[in-house]
Amino acid sequence: MTGGANRVHADLDALKGFHEALVRFRYAQRGVAERGDGEIEMTRASLAAKASRWQARLEQHQAELEACRAGGGEDVPDCTAYARAVEQAGERLEHIRRWQQRVDQEAGEFGGTASGFRDLLEADLPRAESQLLAIISRLEAARRVPAGEA
Amino acid sequence: MHTRPDREGDEQFRLLGAAWEEAVPHWQDEVARRFETDHWTPLVQRSRAYLEALRTLMEVLETAGHDTEF
Repeated sequence: MTGGANRVHADLDALKGFHEALVRFRYAQRGVAERGDGEIEMTRASLAAKASRWQARLEQHQAELEACRAGGGEDVPDCTAYARAVEQAGERLEHIRRWQQRVDQEAGEFGGTASGFRDLLEADLPRAESQLLAIISRLEAARRVPAGEA
Repeated sequence: MHTRPDREGDEQFRLLGAAWEEAVPHWQDEVARRFETDHWTPLVQRSRAYLEALRTLMEVLETAGHDTEF
């Protein structure tokens, strides 16, 4: 049979366990949010590097195409391969730029939700933890009052 | 290899939910009901919304990386 004091003891253990879980959750989710921001920045940097690389290739292929067209003398030179390289580099650059726009858009939409979640972690959750601690303290104080005096 | 942040967030959310489920049977009074309404339910709703948005974004970022590998 579970007596009153044991009941309070069980309450305290359960509440303390939940309080610890709340604190762990807050710290862990703060790390998750930081890593999420880091992934956005890494992807942006990676796309910017790719765009820069393909921009340079495009310019190189354009220069090669111009040189090919200028170097034929009286014959009409076959510059098909250079023209294809220019076209391909241009398409890839455009593809990367579309992804840059998409990532910016998605990151912007995510920003609102992320900001609300940060408020939760920095303000609401500590308030909940404090309230829980106060509840635990009241229960502990009640346990110390001998039966009949409460 | 790092776990994707949204998956890590899901796991932490699952652990918190388990701690709540463990506490609830031992905590059945008016204070508990108020705590659930004022703190727990909003925490669950906002965490779910955030983790869902984070998952969607991480998938976009992953696809962006793969799709621009030439």
